[in-house]
Amino acid sequence: MSQGFSLYLARDSGLHRLHPLTKLSLAATLLVAAFALPGPWSSYAVFLLVLLPLAAWGKILPGFLRSVARSVLPFAISLFLIQGLLWPGGSPVAWLGPLSLKAEGLAFALASTGRILMIVSSFLLLALSTRPDLLMIALAQRGFPSTLSYIVVTTIQIVPYFQGKARAILDAQRSRGLETEGGVRRRLRALLPLVVPLVLSSILDIEERAIALEARAFGRRGTKTSLQVLPDSRAQSVLRWAILALAPLLLVAGLVL
Amino acid sequence: MISVQDLTYTYPGATGPSLSGLSLTVPAGQVCAVIGANGAGKSTLCHALTGFIPHFFRGTLQGGLRVADLSIPDTPLAELAGTIGLVFQNPFNQITGARFSVLEEVAFGLENLGIPREEILDRCRSALELTGLQGLADRSPYDLSGGQMQRLAIASMLAMRPRVLVLDEPTSQLDPAGTEAVFLHLRQLASTGQTTVLLAEHKLEWVAAFADRVLVLSAGSLAADGPPRQVLGSGDLERAGLRSSRYTLVARRAQELGLASAAPLPVTLEQAVEFLT
Amino acid sequence: MARMRQDFGTLTLVMIPVAIAINIAVGQLIYSLKIPLYLDSIGTVLVGVLAGPWAGALTGLLANLIWGLSGLNVAYAPFAAVAAVIGLMAGLFGEGGWLRRWWKVILAGLLTGLVAAAISAPISAYVFGGVTGSGQDVLVAMFRGMGLGILPASFGQGVTSDPLDKMVTYLLVWLIVRGLPSRFKARFPRAGGVV
Repeated sequence: MSQGFSLYLARDSGLHRLHPLTKLSLAATLLVAAFALPGPWSSYAVFLLVLLPLAAWGKILPGFLRSVARSVLPFAISLFLIQGLLWPGGSPVAWLGPLSLKAEGLAFALASTGRILMIVSSFLLLALSTRPDLLMIALAQRGFPSTLSYIVVTTIQIVPYFQGKARAILDAQRSRGLETEGGVRRRLRALLPLVVPLVLSSILDIEERAIALEARAFGRRGTKTSLQVLPDSRAQSVLRWAILALAPLLLVAGLVL
Repeated sequence: MISVQDLTYTYPGATGPSLSGLSLTVPAGQVCAVIGANGAGKSTLCHALTGFIPHFFRGTLQGGLRVADLSIPDTPLAELAGTIGLVFQNPFNQITGARFSVLEEVAFGLENLGIPREEILDRCRSALELTGLQGLADRSPYDLSGGQMQRLAIASMLAMRPRVLVLDEPTSQLDPAGTEAVFLHLRQLASTGQTTVLLAEHKLEWVAAFADRVLVLSAGSLAADGPPRQVLGSGDLERAGLRSSRYTLVARRAQELGLASAAPLPVTLEQAVEFLT
Repeated sequence: MARMRQDFGTLTLVMIPVAIAINIAVGQLIYSLKIPLYLDSIGTVLVGVLAGPWAGALTGLLANLIWGLSGLNVAYAPFAAVAAVIGLMAGLFGEGGWLRRWWKVILAGLLTGLVAAAISAPISAYVFGGVTGSGQDVLVAMFRGMGLGILPASFGQGVTSDPLDKMVTYLLVWLIVRGLPSRFKARFPRAGGVV
């Protein structure tokens, strides 16, 4: 079941059964923690002790690790190489040929990587275990504007169509002799016959899509009902508030410690 | 159900009207087909009957326009939705994108109308059965073929139970099997007497077989109005810039060659067989 | 008037997901063709120019959040504020009639790029430790090697790539808007300020 380009992996797990807003609260608080917690090692500790077990509980551990690695590694590599090797006026710790790794640079890279790791993995945990449309519905049920939910869910679903369209236009132009390899200038000139037709042909769809939406009573004022019922419980509601309450506490702790 | 009196409409910035002095009355439960050359005003008429003219396209509208007991120019679009439905040519653009499954996509309009949840489920299930999509209820709407998407668009409208359903060339991107399915659904829908169907089409053979009545549009006005055999077998078609179906053409040729009687010309295969034997 | 506001609302609303999808589709196409630009804001600028600053800002904001949180490219999410400003500026330039002259179009792109680089630098420095995780880091390395601090090095990297990228973006949007059917443009009152 292809669902646009969302990362969601369907599993029969407790994590998946949690209410979407519970998982969103967790991601939000972890985001605050990433900036509030002191020292480089706290981020790694949270990742190992909180995020990995949750991913395991959600039966998404392999996919989770893969996605985290794919997202974080490029930054980690750049950080350790650039900030490690090129920290101005730093104290060398190890030598790589003529270049030296500086202690300050390494410490900085370690702390930054830890923070990136924590932010990225908390949102990946949310994305892998939560259906985006259900998250949007949960938000809409709490007063989130339906226009914003519409935008988010629709975008997720139509992106693959536009990616396909872009590829089709690329193929068509190439078969007409468009040069897309070679020097930078030649590649830049290829932009026009690729981008402009893609956008113009897409724009013409917009009027019809607006008509279709109106025909489905989207513009109607008054109460709307919902087909989807999201399982929730008093316990989860309490848990959500507890998680969210942690955030300001962490902020204060981070400032004080 | 549909009552149009002397309707004249001009798009904003256009040099002349797209509809001129059009008058039309369609009773409840009728399947009414509208045919005409490109630019004759079929889509304009479809948009006018569903309120998108004047509310969405603006421009100048004169004359009487009442559909499902509502005065179109005086009723906001949001109030017309649900009572009057519109299906058009491009299947992809009719999928809202707001829902992840076929079932939820059909339910979308009902949620907006504030229909209670239990009733939503009932209506969606019957709409999916009517359009043969019940096995695809959990699929992503974007995982469907063009023909299935179009049936989904029709199902989404059917679930809203409109009193008048307007379709603007709904089968142009469908294969013959898909086209037949659509026409059968519409026939079935109208036969309940609850819904009036107005269908703008190019496929004359299907129109001949399924419509109760055929209207011919030419340059924004009504050039002919009557039962299929009468309208499609006459010379009105050619005068309006259309070609008759191959059955009619063959029969007319046979008549010219003295091989057949001067009976009314056939417009369907069955009629042609009868005519020529 | 109320009618116009209402259907203007639905039309703009429907345009936004299409614009975001264009951002992503073009951005990825550019990347696969190894063109040294981002071109990930064409949709955002287009919405800003046609539907005004707030619509443009919303498009940019949601585009980056969706692109980032979908996992396709996580780096985009923290820069949602930058994308919002890009959309906002596009709307202001559109209303100000800057897209009537080709040289003003290029200037608008240049200014947008500079502002984008200025706002991106602190975000990059604070969230990502001053690196981008992409080939652009060669520039960061160069500036750091010259002895620049993390924030100035980030800004140096941004200022080398953003203005050119936005100038090309604005030019493409200008060509696109000129190519739009006038009946479509007429539905966007603000687009009167364009061509």
